[in-house]
Amino acid sequence: MTKLNSAKDLAALRERLTTTHKRPDRCVAVCSGTGCLATKAQVCADAFATELQRQGLAGEVELRRTGCYGFCERGPVVVIQPEDVTYLGVKASDAAEIVESTLNQHQVVERLLFKDDHGTRLQHLNDIPFYKYQTRLLLDANTRIDPKRIDDYVANGGYSALSKALFEMKPEEVLAVIKHANLRGRGGGGFPAGTKWETTRKAPGDIKYVLVNADEGDPGAYMDRSLLEGNPHSILEGLIIGAYTIGACEGFIYVRQEYPLAVTNTLIALDQAREYGLLGRNILGSGFDFDVTVHRGAGAFVSGESSALMTAIEGRVGQPRPKYIHTSVKGLFDRPSNLNNVETWANVPLIVNRGSDWFRSMGTENSKGTKIFSLVGKVVNTGLVEVPMGITLRDIVYKIGGGIRGNKKFKAVQTGGPSGGFLPESLLDLPVDFDDLWNNGSMMGSGGMIVLDEDNCMVDSARFYIDFLAHEGCGVCVPCREGLRQSLHILNNIVAGKGREGDIELLEELCDLLTNASRCALGTSASFPVMAALKHYRDEFEAHIRDKRCPARVCADLIQYEIDQQKCVGCPLCAKSCPTKAIHGTPKKPYSIEQSLCIKCGACHQVCPAKVQAVLKVPALAPRATTVS
Amino acid sequence: MVQTEAAKAPTNVDVLVIDDEESVRESCRHTLDLEGYRTHLAPDGLGGLKLAEETRPRVAVVDLRMPGLSGIEVLERLPAIDARIVPVVITGFGTVDNAVASMKLGAFEFITKPFEPAQLVDAVRRGVARSLGREHAMATAERASAAATAARAPEEPDVILKGLEALSEGYALGLTASNLVEELRQLEAEAKHHAETLGQIKKREKVIGDLVADLRFVDAIIQKHDFRKNALIQILLDIQSKKHWLPRHALMWVSRRLNVPLSRIYEIANFYEAFSLTPQGAHLIQVCLGTACHVRGGPLLLKQVSAVLGIGAGQTDPKGIFTLKSVNCLGCCALAPVVTVDGRYYGNPDLRQLRELFQACEAEVATEVAAS
Repeated sequence: MTKLNSAKDLAALRERLTTTHKRPDRCVAVCSGTGCLATKAQVCADAFATELQRQGLAGEVELRRTGCYGFCERGPVVVIQPEDVTYLGVKASDAAEIVESTLNQHQVVERLLFKDDHGTRLQHLNDIPFYKYQTRLLLDANTRIDPKRIDDYVANGGYSALSKALFEMKPEEVLAVIKHANLRGRGGGGFPAGTKWETTRKAPGDIKYVLVNADEGDPGAYMDRSLLEGNPHSILEGLIIGAYTIGACEGFIYVRQEYPLAVTNTLIALDQAREYGLLGRNILGSGFDFDVTVHRGAGAFVSGESSALMTAIEGRVGQPRPKYIHTSVKGLFDRPSNLNNVETWANVPLIVNRGSDWFRSMGTENSKGTKIFSLVGKVVNTGLVEVPMGITLRDIVYKIGGGIRGNKKFKAVQTGGPSGGFLPESLLDLPVDFDDLWNNGSMMGSGGMIVLDEDNCMVDSARFYIDFLAHEGCGVCVPCREGLRQSLHILNNIVAGKGREGDIELLEELCDLLTNASRCALGTSASFPVMAALKHYRDEFEAHIRDKRCPARVCADLIQYEIDQQKCVGCPLCAKSCPTKAIHGTPKKPYSIEQSLCIKCGACHQVCPAKVQAVLKVPALAPRATTVS
Repeated sequence: MVQTEAAKAPTNVDVLVIDDEESVRESCRHTLDLEGYRTHLAPDGLGGLKLAEETRPRVAVVDLRMPGLSGIEVLERLPAIDARIVPVVITGFGTVDNAVASMKLGAFEFITKPFEPAQLVDAVRRGVARSLGREHAMATAERASAAATAARAPEEPDVILKGLEALSEGYALGLTASNLVEELRQLEAEAKHHAETLGQIKKREKVIGDLVADLRFVDAIIQKHDFRKNALIQILLDIQSKKHWLPRHALMWVSRRLNVPLSRIYEIANFYEAFSLTPQGAHLIQVCLGTACHVRGGPLLLKQVSAVLGIGAGQTDPKGIFTLKSVNCLGCCALAPVVTVDGRYYGNPDLRQLRELFQACEAEVATEVAAS
């Protein structure tokens, strides 16, 4: 790699990459995000490499291991370009057939295509309902880029926004564009990025920092992971532009160590950017110096909070501090520091390139652009979806997500992670943007969107978040520490059938305390899931407390597993799966469960064939004491 | 003092008494001879040092105030003769200043005149024990550094070796505070303890060898991070990822090299989920309990895995094969519920598949044990 010393050098490189050094048009793109790797995408890609070689196509067809396509559940996803034939759930053993028929004979392998509700096979990525209703500004590049090759990014127009900002715009002009675009923080709060940048830019001091928050601790959300893994340069480019605008000399990327592939790909991206002179001293010969360090987070949810994150980078325990002075004025090492989320940074190059008016053309009045959600839980199609702001929840759940799996009944959507709330069916037509979600007792958060169906217990779900926060809080301020502990105690009692009259009121009081007296956002928003659950699903709490009954049959102490003697066909599946050997019987005759040995792990319920459904969840005869796990 | 014959000191242990008062010298000789020590007497500092050269005593009983060379000066020079000599100070001027000065110079015990014979015997006996201990520590350190020298490339600058050499240098300079010796001993005890708990009682040398290798590994990490204090968490993460836990000796070394209090390191190690302070099993099983996994039966999966392995979340089985952990979110939500086995992801695995994986893990450990 030769160092690029001017905007011209960069343009020349791009020209070379798209003409003389252009890679073959035909390409087998194998998704190699963590989701697909879990479904053995690596083996699959290796099989394609062997097959291309064997069938003599190695020179003509490129094998590209790309970032996440978003449709993780149906992975590994393989797309044949330029025909845009999309295969789902591809196995290594399918490679020979695909190369043979699709690449050699231009025939489509029907059985690997997406099948819609009417049984029609859909060939192209954008025909699939999951993709059809999305607006993929950020995620789209994932399908065209090998994240380990900077050339792929450059060939796709990468770093042109940086070059534009450095050579054609003054920092004030970049700032004006970002402000006008009304880009709001994608990490949760929705604070306007331009305003934040301006504060740091104007803050006194020569040394300033810019930071990327990739400490995606929010359970149920993984868009930051996919962006960093799949297209690290887009975030880096945004960060460099931000640094130039703010006048920062150093940047940090704070990424969870639970995301090893994201760490690896980011480090590779930084090295390659340095070699090209896009990072380091005198970037592209512009005289602007800037470099970036990766800091791995060690697994603490609270460290994603801005002041805690900065403390952690300083090498101390990541606890939030009271923010009488904002971190944008006095942050990392007490210097002005601007922290934005991964997705926010990734939007910056797009806005600089295409202008603020283009960005403003999408979304609602106060929420512009797109937002990536991780649509997970009980929907048919789960994965990462990027939608314009203002789309309704119903469209996301039913059009993109394909509705609830197994013809079950929809119960709730949870957004905003542990700081958000549950939205019931009556709010399904709510437009999704920062303000509407907030006004309805939830929030955008970093983009987790978990769909719950009738088999999910709302008391258990509320308890889940409180349990999570009680363990993840830093414990410094009393309202948060004790408020969460006491709430958890009460909720534990309720799910164990030991709830008492007055518990609900006590919970409400504790929620009030948490919201009004905690030091940081972890505490002030900790009550949202409980308050939302109480608001929309109060009857479920009452059923637990008064009738000692879990309507969704989830809470272990209120249910027991039984085998329907009429339905049981006497196959030994349940007895074999039982880890505690609590199921007795002889083949061909109905089995039975010995309740004293049963730990209620549900293994028998899961293996009992769908046609038989002999294992039943029934209300427990008498509530048992909480089992210690 | 009642003593049995067997408990008496062996006759080949030399003790040197340096005092300008003849009566004191003689009474000391009388007392010590009775206990079976070989006693040498010197009336002044210079004579005492000369005699120390010749006889290499285990313990030197030194009077502080003497004409000519003072007791303090004798203390200063003794380590240069032989680091194993343990000084015991006697004086008629039992001031705090005196005591502090002589303790700083490595005096092991401080006796004020007049003293009971039993006091002297007790001090000398403990001094001899200390001297033997020192000899052993020095030999161990030498062996370990020799082993370390053999193991490394010759041109590599070796801080650990220097650290270990500092042990003996410490004596040469009269620095018996010798935190280093104490530290090494603690480290050694730690390593030995853990080796034992892991059911692998090794030879002492092997333990020390491993320890040195560990410290060298830790030091390389610290160097990679340029000794920056704010890289502390990154350093700990690197150690954790390689060793799968944070052994105490490693943390002590980090504390020393970065000059960060050990308490702060433990604060961090306790705060973050990523760190473990106890040895982990050979295979790590993680069950994700993030929201997406929770709503799709993550807790049930954890119960099943836990029942199959016979350990709860956060535990390691007694054989050290498996560690089971529950994690908040692995960021693989579309495949929920997710289990990882040694970093490999499995989306919605059935119990039979997991049982097979676990059996493969067990078989692997069994083969390794058989091989070693």
